Amino acid sequence: MLTVTALNKTYPNGKRGLIDVGFELQAGTVTAIIGPSGAGKTTLLRSLNRFITPESGTIELDGLELVGATRAALRQARRHIGMIFQDYNLIEPLSALENVLHGTLGDKRLLPGMMGLYTHAEKKRAMALLQEVGLAESATQPAKSLSGGQKQRVGIARALMQSPQVILCDEPIASLDPQSTATIMTLLAKLAKQKQLTIIINLHQVDLAREYADHIIGINAGRCVFDDATAALDDAALARIYAQEEAMVNG
Amino acid sequence: MAELTRYFSHQRRVRLLVFGTLLALLLLAQVALQLNVIEAATGVFAGWGWLVANFAPIASAFPALGEISWQLAATVLIAIAATMVAAGVALLLALAGARTTSHWPLAQALIRPFASIMRNIPFVAWALVLLFSFKQTPFTGFLALLLMSVGYLTRAFMETLDEVGHGVIEALEATGAGYWAIICQGVLPAAAAPLVSWLLYMIENNIRDATLVGMLTGTGVGFLFDLYFKSFRYPAAGLVVCAIILVTIAIELSATKLRQVLNA
Repeated sequence: MLTVTALNKTYPNGKRGLIDVGFELQAGTVTAIIGPSGAGKTTLLRSLNRFITPESGTIELDGLELVGATRAALRQARRHIGMIFQDYNLIEPLSALENVLHGTLGDKRLLPGMMGLYTHAEKKRAMALLQEVGLAESATQPAKSLSGGQKQRVGIARALMQSPQVILCDEPIASLDPQSTATIMTLLAKLAKQKQLTIIINLHQVDLAREYADHIIGINAGRCVFDDATAALDDAALARIYAQEEAMVNG
Repeated sequence: MAELTRYFSHQRRVRLLVFGTLLALLLLAQVALQLNVIEAATGVFAGWGWLVANFAPIASAFPALGEISWQLAATVLIAIAATMVAAGVALLLALAGARTTSHWPLAQALIRPFASIMRNIPFVAWALVLLFSFKQTPFTGFLALLLMSVGYLTRAFMETLDEVGHGVIEALEATGAGYWAIICQGVLPAAAAPLVSWLLYMIENNIRDATLVGMLTGTGVGFLFDLYFKSFRYPAAGLVVCAIILVTIAIELSATKLRQVLNA
């Protein structure tokens, strides 16, 4: 279970990124974060593994608190939080298999980590994960030769390699075509149930959130204005989440 | 309408000004150097004729071939050695200085200007300064090339690391990986092709420069050319030039091939 309370973030330029954001997410669910551009979706998601450090509030994952964690404790915590990115962030010249194995680097000591020494068991598991995301036959191909959808599946396998409790997805389908989008979203939803993961996805498209998410968090101007099951997302709630944008369009 | 006319007449004035300035500079140069462009042009042809007649590596020059090959090999090896050592130093400096890979603001602030200074001092100046301390030895040439290359490669490597760095580092930081694991397993593999490309470029350049440095430091194939030239053994000197051209082209071609393989 992931518990977030009273998260606040102000950027050096004075812009309020997050204002008193709090919620609780269960294992085995997909949560979509939606809201207008610049509302704080990315700030929120990146706070959850402390790529961005909030000034106050708490993020608790299985009894471990992240906001006040030391560097070592944070590294320890990040091992259990996978992340996938809009631009996949793979090491392009390396093979899909090597990219997946990078998911183990958090557990390695200095020298094995530097030299990329992986155990036989790790290699077998990486292969099995590639099989699971449907890329077994591309395992030895360099990442740069794969399509966007395939790259994102390698990214998911790399995250799974960490045996995570949480996977953060930062606009994972923003660079993909509709078919790859469906593949990736279906895969994420399936993995959440199968492996009892807490999956959190930043999305621009409300219809995708409705289709694939169990739970929705709506952010507007840094505040959490909706935090409920997907079924509860009605027109009034949407109007609240996208309030400012409509005001701007209507002049 | 009036604005459009004004805009185009302004453009025309700017172009006329640039062209006029260039023409004036050329005329000034002619007067200052008492140089006549037409005479110079015909002179070039006469010069080439003299060059071909005297420097053609005729049969009498070929006994020198053994000596030339040996010195040429030595020069090439010095250039390669200087570049490789420089690359090692430059990579560490670049890691400490690049925005994406550096954890040390002080190093970031110092390394960039340091590299610029090193790069902008020409290797000939380095060689002249170093001659005082290290005399006319191959080591002086090695050091001169090394110092310039460190500056050049540090700048180039820093830019390469900054280009590939951010997403790669973020992806591996998210797994909880440590700094050196991120560098060795993420950043360096991602940057390998451009890094090697810079290295090859530097080797090519240094081989050319090494022959020049040799003239100053009295070593290698540059010195041999100087020696032949001053002792009026023009065909042998011509043979040195031909050998240098051949080796440079060969290195250039193999570097291009290597780049193609790496980028495939």
